[in-house]
Amino acid sequence: MPYTELDLTLAEDHVALKEAVHKFAVGVLRPAAIELDKMTPEQVIAKDSLYWRCMKKMYELNYHTVLISDAYGGLGLDPLATHIVWEELAYGSAGFAVSLGCSCFNAFYASMMADDYMIEKFIVPFVECRDAGVMSCWGITEPDHGSDILMSGTPHFRDPKVVQQVKVRRKGDDFILNGQKSSWISNGPIASNVSLFVNLQPAMGMAGGGICLVDLSQKGISRGKPLNKMGQRELPQGEIFFDNAVCPARDMIIDQESYEMMTDLTLAHANATMGAYFTGVAQAAYDLALQYSTERIQGGRRLCDHQSVQKKLFDMFVRTATARSFSRDAMKYNMNTTPPDVKYSIASKVYCTQAALDVTNDAVQIFGGYGLSKEFPIEKLFRDARAGLIEDGSNDSLALTAGNMIVREVTQ
Amino acid sequence: MAVFERTDTMYRILGGLFEGLVKDPSVGPKFVESDIIIKFTISDPDGEIWLSPNNGGEVICGPYGLSPTIEMTLSGDTCHRFWLQEISMPIALAKGLIKAKGPLPKVLKLLPLLKPAYAAYPGIAKENGLEVKGA
Repeated sequence: MPYTELDLTLAEDHVALKEAVHKFAVGVLRPAAIELDKMTPEQVIAKDSLYWRCMKKMYELNYHTVLISDAYGGLGLDPLATHIVWEELAYGSAGFAVSLGCSCFNAFYASMMADDYMIEKFIVPFVECRDAGVMSCWGITEPDHGSDILMSGTPHFRDPKVVQQVKVRRKGDDFILNGQKSSWISNGPIASNVSLFVNLQPAMGMAGGGICLVDLSQKGISRGKPLNKMGQRELPQGEIFFDNAVCPARDMIIDQESYEMMTDLTLAHANATMGAYFTGVAQAAYDLALQYSTERIQGGRRLCDHQSVQKKLFDMFVRTATARSFSRDAMKYNMNTTPPDVKYSIASKVYCTQAALDVTNDAVQIFGGYGLSKEFPIEKLFRDARAGLIEDGSNDSLALTAGNMIVREVTQ
Repeated sequence: MAVFERTDTMYRILGGLFEGLVKDPSVGPKFVESDIIIKFTISDPDGEIWLSPNNGGEVICGPYGLSPTIEMTLSGDTCHRFWLQEISMPIALAKGLIKAKGPLPKVLKLLPLLKPAYAAYPGIAKENGLEVKGA
């Protein structure tokens, strides 16, 4: 049974979009994600695999252009519609939702520059792509820099002893790139291009960074093995190595002057999106547990007739509904306000991923022994939710970053 | 010292720039179709410039009682640098030089429509005795 829509301002278009994406997520993404979950990471990314077939379907439906303006042929959805799409896709599969979300990184950055060169090079090929062959990844974390690489504004971010591992040097009209990005780069093993976060000014520490849009098909780029991991196994993640790779200087879209602020802006959008994704994961676990509780007989009664189960279902319901309300508000505010208020996006991410973990954990408990079994999708949702507490910034580090922001606001 | 010494000078120069933009055949119809009302709230010198799709596209300099779809808050100097393309939108937004209220997709949708204004502004600025580097 669909959840009650509390937002009475939802337009007919929003409702139709929600129903269409929900149907696609349940009918296509969820069964595919369950199949991919059983495969090795190499099988997931193999040519013509189920992963690629699903990504192609999403590109055919234009879901990859959610954030790209309709001036370029994208969907250019409003903030609420954007939240709806991300939540509903993740209802079917968090891994596919993350993969699709990352796919637009270069085109999205290019749409902020909006000059002819950027439009032709990065936006048009992405929008016109129907086979998922044009796909970005977010090249930010590194072997020695996980969540700390996102903690702009904190004292360590300006420590010259702590700098990004991907270094650049200028050579004529190009930058030469050397270094490595971490195993956790979503779409890393398969992406055709990367929004690469590099160091330009070591004396400024991490704040001396830059962002460049880099072609990954060129000589000088190699990839690590796709990561074999616990949750979101349908999402390909892996290292990228840069060995004298080349980036045209004009594709260095952000330099050290505005790197810290652009990192914040990126984090605000990414974390708000995570809030939407994990609302979807929580809703999926809640729906499955509620349904199961009406069918499974224990102690001579349906599970849902036991008061302890009713209490658990109510707690899950509250967490899911609050996650939706808060993450929608955070996304709507920060997609309507530039520069965004980053702490609300961080709060949305931290709150919703924790809610998803709590709800999936309760769902496993309601399923009992079957909750541990691969006969039901609950154990997968639990593993997917657990990954959410670490990806896109670990919740502990993000909380420190947002806490630092709160204190700076009242003391500076 | 501010690039625009007085509000009326700013209105004349930037208002003229926007008038040319909404009358441009490659921009005007798309702007009207977008149904977006833009308010520029400018400081140093203080002023407001509105772009409305009403009446086939109009520019209003000074207070105006509409509800904007997008409100951009920025200084006169940032306006000047932006139209000279000395500063890009993402950098201006990231640095807080431009603060935007309104749906980001609509803000981004406007950017490609600004091209004729980028081309026209250096000449307009020069004609009005404003500093244009490299001119």
